[in-house]
Amino acid sequence: MEKVWIAFAAALAIGLPAIATAWAQSRIGAAGAGTLAEKPELTGVIIILVAIPETMVILGFVVAAMILLM
Amino acid sequence: MIIRMAKVEIVGPKQDLLNTLDLLHDRGIFQPDPQLLERIELAREDHLQALVLDENNLHERSFFQGLFERITQLLALLPEASADLPPLQPLPVMDLLDELVDKHLEIAREMVRQLTDCQNEIDDLQRDLAFWQALEPLLSDLPEDSNLEIFGVTIRDARQLQALEGLLQKLTQGRCHISSATTADGSLVGLIATDCETSGPLRQVLTDERVPELSLPEELADLPLSKRILALHDRLDLLLANAKGLEAELRDLDVQWRPIYRRALNWLAERLTLYRATATAYTTRLCFIIQGWMAENEVSDLHNDLNQAFTGRVVLEQQAILDEEIEQVPVILRNPGYFAPFEVFSRLLPLPKYSSYDPTPLIGLFFPVFFGMILGDIGYGMILLLIALFLAKHYQPHHLASDLGKILGVAALYTLFFGVLYGELFGDLGETWLGLHPLWFDRGKAVLPMTVFALTVGVVHVLLGIILGALADLRRHKPRLALVKFATLLSTLLLVLAVVGYFYPQSWLKTGPLLIGVGILMPVLVAAEGLLAPLELLKTMGNIISYIRIMAIGFSSVLLAMVANRLGGMTGDVMAGILVAGILHAFNLLLGVFAPTVHSLRLHYVEFFSKFLDLGGRRFDPWQKRSP
Repeated sequence: MEKVWIAFAAALAIGLPAIATAWAQSRIGAAGAGTLAEKPELTGVIIILVAIPETMVILGFVVAAMILLM
Repeated sequence: MIIRMAKVEIVGPKQDLLNTLDLLHDRGIFQPDPQLLERIELAREDHLQALVLDENNLHERSFFQGLFERITQLLALLPEASADLPPLQPLPVMDLLDELVDKHLEIAREMVRQLTDCQNEIDDLQRDLAFWQALEPLLSDLPEDSNLEIFGVTIRDARQLQALEGLLQKLTQGRCHISSATTADGSLVGLIATDCETSGPLRQVLTDERVPELSLPEELADLPLSKRILALHDRLDLLLANAKGLEAELRDLDVQWRPIYRRALNWLAERLTLYRATATAYTTRLCFIIQGWMAENEVSDLHNDLNQAFTGRVVLEQQAILDEEIEQVPVILRNPGYFAPFEVFSRLLPLPKYSSYDPTPLIGLFFPVFFGMILGDIGYGMILLLIALFLAKHYQPHHLASDLGKILGVAALYTLFFGVLYGELFGDLGETWLGLHPLWFDRGKAVLPMTVFALTVGVVHVLLGIILGALADLRRHKPRLALVKFATLLSTLLLVLAVVGYFYPQSWLKTGPLLIGVGILMPVLVAAEGLLAPLELLKTMGNIISYIRIMAIGFSSVLLAMVANRLGGMTGDVMAGILVAGILHAFNLLLGVFAPTVHSLRLHYVEFFSKFLDLGGRRFDPWQKRSP
């Protein structure tokens, strides 16, 4: 039973940040697409902006990995 | 690196102003700065005044401006058939060109007008021809000499055709017939036949219903129906021949005169630029004075050029850059060999201020290392090295692809290096097949050591950023800000040591005293930076934690590579296994190039540069001759 709870906790640790990251990236991506239509020279900046919310899911991944492995 | 700039003042007799501006324009290394002159005006307002052109110069400028505009209009009318510019000195022939350009402009306008009329008529006739060709089969059903009135219409869609048919039948009490056909371009056309008595009201209904009726040129309208198409063809051929003739005449005019006018236009543009540049000069009763910016290593060359050209009459003097001017100094970024390709990444940011740093060398030093740390695989490194060599060899130097190839090459070398340390060759394939073992640690298993390593990299990188920020503040003569940065640096270091002491207790590393040290430094930070200082400290800690992505992305890459190998092995067939594993490794490599690039850049732009980089510098934009 304990293993089930550990797996569930790990799934939550990565699942919730993944949803949050997806939501943030969808908003930034939509705004970025609009920006690029006006200013294509900002491509690099937009890619970086889209990558910024990935911190959440990366930290979630780290926590999930630690829950499972430690 | 940011090139060292010099503030220079150029002074000379008023009559040498235009020639001096011409020389500066020709060299293309000097950027005038009217804001500096405004300050001079405030300091010496009794003596200096903005330059006002005399009557001769004004007349000349007006003449050149008018000629420039008329030549521009003429060249816009010509078809641009010729490109070579003759070795012509335009100034002696300006008066002649002034007379000729009016004549040529008149000729060109008339020819373009005729050509436009011709083209319009050709377009109309081609449309009519398509219409009548579609209706030709319907016309053949009608009697040649009947008393019928026939006219064609274009119809929006089948529904409108149905409505129109009902309406016309009702209006003419069945004494009309409408047939329809589809043209080559898919438009629906109709042929309406009725007797002469009802044609008037019927035409009115078509107007009311907004159904466009096909109109023909008057000379064709009276022709019998069967001869109309032939007549349209004849007329179209005639117009096409006319248009071709007019185009040939325009092309002849272009071939004969464009090179001369183009040369004159370039000369006029440069001359007018000089007149505009006079707005940046100030004068006394006898002298002119210009101030501006240039690269410091070019000052002596310009000094010698001015001496040589004006035999000492025009003097250049380098002046000290004042503290309040430091933010106004324009910026030139120039990086030697190894670092030059990395400007691709620094160009994604706005230009740094003169008192700040060029981010390019820092990206050049750290980006490939971070990339290698994340990807770290001998197999992937070899493939990337081959791609990099192809890009660097196949494209010209300084081409974007060549620059990216060079960056990829360095990143691939670090990928190989870390691949050897991690003992990875296409994930765990090296271990399985070749008995390869990690020299440092196995990323697939040692999650915690890798996390500590990534965080250590973060501590070093972020603290380096804070040190650079403090040094930049000292250079700007802002000791208070520098003190805040050093206090932040010390507080961060103490906090990091406290965290290390908590997780790895050592007799010499006591968490309590370290936290007391942070507490002592806190009032200094709050006094210097306000109540947000503790938040700034937390943000710095957050920045350090963000480096954990080096471990996380690398870890996911290793796992994906291992999954590729396992799935390949599970197929039970050598060829299928190679295919499955190859596809998954290719996908992993694609991710392995994209993710480390984006995240390494993000670590630089967000975590590292925010500690010291001051963006928003002015680009150095010298006077330069336009290429002909």
